[in-house]
Amino acid sequence: MLNKRLTFKIILFLIASDLLETAAQYCFKRTAMSGSDFFITNFSDALFFLKTCLLSPFIWLAFVMIFLTFIIWSTILSKIDLSVAVPVASFSYILVPLTSIFFLHEKVTMLDWTGILFILTGVIFVCTSTEKGATG
Amino acid sequence: MKLNIIAVISLIVLTSIFDTINQLFLKSSINSLNWKVDSVKKIFALIARLLVTPRVWMGFFFCCLSLSVWLFVLSKADLNFAFSADSMHYIFIAFSSSLILKEKVGARRWVGTIFIVMGITLLTISKKG
Repeated sequence: MLNKRLTFKIILFLIASDLLETAAQYCFKRTAMSGSDFFITNFSDALFFLKTCLLSPFIWLAFVMIFLTFIIWSTILSKIDLSVAVPVASFSYILVPLTSIFFLHEKVTMLDWTGILFILTGVIFVCTSTEKGATG
Repeated sequence: MKLNIIAVISLIVLTSIFDTINQLFLKSSINSLNWKVDSVKKIFALIARLLVTPRVWMGFFFCCLSLSVWLFVLSKADLNFAFSADSMHYIFIAFSSSLILKEKVGARRWVGTIFIVMGITLLTISKKG
């Protein structure tokens, strides 16, 4: 039987996969922004939108990142449950605001801190649900 | 021109469902290979095996569907709103992992997942205000 415990190494893998995925999302947003000026009402509009997207260099950069994420993500999934990997990957939601707090000295509201605290609590709960003796 | 809120939410639900299906296909393929990854070489061997597994490509198809819908949503909706609504996919994942993959999702994991969804919603709401 495989060892399903969440180790520090897997957490590092998850953070790497998060960072790559965030970068990929950014590229997708840049791609979509290039097509935001038209409204899609029929199939040929949709095809034209897709064509505009595929001509953007950002989408290709995003594809490379997605493939790298796929390699890391498959490695993670070969070691732990899907219902653990996915929630713990939400760590990226904390990384972004924390980065802006400590490096960009952005103002953070009480609501931000509450959100960060909730996510952190959730991640800890999910992490400890893989410990020996826990019921899941 | 903006889409109405119901249409945006339905599209986000759709993209979440497609993404969940993709994850289920990938995870079930990895489970069925029962591969023990303990070296870099083993990782690449696993990736090679996965790339010739039909189920992974079916997952990839759903990933593309999810991506197309997501791209469309991002071009029409507010990014913060899209992300907060997308956090519902954590719930889909928890449900389907326990129902389909037979993972043991106990009370602790459920509570954690719900905390995460609430946290993401709070963070994204606060960005709007």
